Amino acid sequence: MSGTDIWVMIVGVSIVSMLPRVLPVALFTRYEFPEPLKRWLSFIAPAVLGSLTAVSVLAPEGFIDLSIHNRYIWAFLPTLLVAIKTRSLFYSLLVGIVTMALLYNYFL
Amino acid sequence: MQKQELRQGINDSVPIILGYLPLGLAFGVLANEVGMSIIQATVMSFLCFTGAGQYIAIGVMQAGGAVFTIIMANVLVNLRYLLFSTSMVPYLKGRVPTALGSFLSYGLTDETYAVAMKRYQDHSPTVSYIAGLNLSSHIGWVASTLLGAILGGYMSNTERLGLGFALPAMYICLLVFMIKRKSDVFVALSSALLCLVVGYFLPATMGNLFNIIIATVVAASLGMLFNERD
Repeated sequence: MSGTDIWVMIVGVSIVSMLPRVLPVALFTRYEFPEPLKRWLSFIAPAVLGSLTAVSVLAPEGFIDLSIHNRYIWAFLPTLLVAIKTRSLFYSLLVGIVTMALLYNYFL
Repeated sequence: MQKQELRQGINDSVPIILGYLPLGLAFGVLANEVGMSIIQATVMSFLCFTGAGQYIAIGVMQAGGAVFTIIMANVLVNLRYLLFSTSMVPYLKGRVPTALGSFLSYGLTDETYAVAMKRYQDHSPTVSYIAGLNLSSHIGWVASTLLGAILGGYMSNTERLGLGFALPAMYICLLVFMIKRKSDVFVALSSALLCLVVGYFLPATMGNLFNIIIATVVAASLGMLFNERD
């Protein structure tokens, strides 16, 4: 890919990643959504986080890995416990990262 | 500008930046390897701010693919932002001016979305908060890319430091925050299962994250079957 191609690619990607983020806020804030749509939208956040968590823990390399060698599954457990107990993003991240570092260097 | 809100936004971006650090570094290193200059890699992170999309670009470039392929793959990957952005509208309405809200939505990512939605559970959105959260996350992404592109091969293995688990840990915690109703548990679990099943049978969707879009839309619709009062 030439230098020019790369710049065209960057601008193209930038446009298609900007439009879906900006357009709904730009166009829809004028309207009042009907109740059922609001309710449906209220499920988007739990749904997205459910699937992001599943993919990042159970398929960390891009394919599903349910084996005991998948460190992400082991690190998932203490992180979930701490998240529920403390409801703190900071402590959850700390425990997750430290667990992962220990697993990587000493166990799996 | 409300200082307190701005500061809160910046504070809330710290875990996000921690998660972006290894990903941005790695992007900088890889971009260099597939022939992008330091400036191109950094400008790409600034203009695009889409981790998954930028990694796809690297993958396609490595395979000798076309610019058009990269852009089309990014259209797919970024479709989920349509859902995120739309689901924020009821919160922003009447509280954040449309022009500013639209401008700041450029900084919408999986992570800034989830952190902001958590905040809006008990606080009204403000321009200052969104600016603090989105802009500092954006700066973190650009800075870590720049660092990665400069350091190139000299980078030590960030996996060793456990940083590879920063984003998953954040998703886990934000997932816990998002669960308020029985129906949320059901929706989150269905979505988790669906995206794995779709990804298993259509492995390509695992790479371009389309499985997440399918799972989200179906699971949110399943949630409508519950007729509990919130």
